[in-house]
Amino acid sequence: MKRTSWFHLYKMLIRTSIRSRMQYKFNFIMASVLAALIQISEFLMVALVLHRFGAIKGWSLHEIGYLFAIMTLSKTLYRTFGNEVHHLEKYLVNGELDQLLTRPMPVLLALLPQNFRIMAGEVLQGGFILCWSLAGMMYSGQIGWIAIPFSLLIILTGAVILFSIGLATATLGFWTTRIEELQTITEDAARTAAQYPLTLYPKWMSGILLTVIPVGFVNYIPSLYLLRGEGGAWVLVAVAAVAVLSLAASLRFWQFGLTKYQSTGS
Amino acid sequence: MLYFTLASKAYSRNLQYRGAHMVHNLASAMFGYMYACLWIGIGADHTLGEYGTQGMISYIAFTQSSLWISGFLTNGLGIPLSVRTGQIALDLMRPVHLFTHLMAREWGQIAYQFVYKSIPIYLLFSIVFSLHWPSDVSTLFYAALGLAGAAYLSICMNYIIGATSMWTTESSWLHWGNHAMMNLLAGFFIPLEWLPNWLEQLAWISPYPFLLYVPTRIYLGFEDGSLLWGTLLWCVFMTLICLVITQVLRRKVEVQGG
Repeated sequence: MKRTSWFHLYKMLIRTSIRSRMQYKFNFIMASVLAALIQISEFLMVALVLHRFGAIKGWSLHEIGYLFAIMTLSKTLYRTFGNEVHHLEKYLVNGELDQLLTRPMPVLLALLPQNFRIMAGEVLQGGFILCWSLAGMMYSGQIGWIAIPFSLLIILTGAVILFSIGLATATLGFWTTRIEELQTITEDAARTAAQYPLTLYPKWMSGILLTVIPVGFVNYIPSLYLLRGEGGAWVLVAVAAVAVLSLAASLRFWQFGLTKYQSTGS
Repeated sequence: MLYFTLASKAYSRNLQYRGAHMVHNLASAMFGYMYACLWIGIGADHTLGEYGTQGMISYIAFTQSSLWISGFLTNGLGIPLSVRTGQIALDLMRPVHLFTHLMAREWGQIAYQFVYKSIPIYLLFSIVFSLHWPSDVSTLFYAALGLAGAAYLSICMNYIIGATSMWTTESSWLHWGNHAMMNLLAGFFIPLEWLPNWLEQLAWISPYPFLLYVPTRIYLGFEDGSLLWGTLLWCVFMTLICLVITQVLRRKVEVQGG
């Protein structure tokens, strides 16, 4: 099949997924509102501390809001398209992956559109905090307007990095079947850690967050350049390179993992 | 005896997943470690009131471990699920009160989480951060009492949340809303006295401080047991609500087609 027709098929599957989602409108609206509420409470928790103490290791509330918002939006972008990668365990345990394997298309392409997730709550919340922190920093002259397109770019590279981490973790499921516990560490805990400046953590931990689980490249490293002028524009190029490399590596790993897949008997 | 059997069954069912839970404990400990690092960072530039940096580390270690007693309970005590499957009709027919039945099961769950989650996580923190344990027996006693009260309160709150699924068929948003409130009003990450005044006052007219903040303050030796009267009061009040709600719920039950 040609590349364009794969894309056409992907678009069609996504459209179907959205239509099925919209059958439960009330649930969709409630889920969006609650997602926004949780996000608000998480950020407020830290905002309240900063309100009282001023700054954490020289990072202002606007700067930490920026780290937080970029992470939220990158995660949102990743989960919108790649939610089923995060929920691969379900397919492994129930044997649903077998069905996808029989389809005449790459497994990942069949898996991703199974549930195209519209995360309006996260977009609203992340977008709001991003605009608020950008506006605050622009007003004080810390950054210029150029930060806006760059921010959009690093949300994109961040989503690619998070997707790669998610895919690599999910791939381990071909050996272990259960991956939820591991995901809590590689996805949830790591992502939460990177919502704050990595200088807060001991060297071994920030080292892990920049190499083994490279979440630091989603928001922290680009922010060092964008917000604080450390390094040069090459930092952004390096971040994009990390994103491409992680994606390539995790796709290779996924391909290898698939060959080790054994269906679970029922 | 029946209640004890229900609780012990819930406890032993969990024992099957001990291995997976230990991995999960590592993740939970990582969250606590991260929050402690945040306070260490803040403590480097500011004095942290009566707590000091080491005190705030102990604070976070205790709240993070206690989350498994008063925070992470079965969503709505399992009511939303049994409403969806229709099991609720059978549960209501049993010659046991729905509230006490579900509560007994949840106590088993909490007992398991206390032994296999709270204690390992706290021990890990004790080693990593060289925490001091209270030497006074009465402090430990009152803290344990505070935690037991917190667990009971949380059971009641989850029961109420679960019961709403009779009307909405979807109560997970209330469940998550409850978590959001825990983050802010229970003193999970930030002690209540450091909240803005209005928020602190709002917290104290809610039951949330009794879930984490009160047991933690008692454990750290900043309070005697007198705040436990508040816990008791809320427990009585919540029990009444749960009993009333069960009465209403009995009349409301509708079995959807199978």
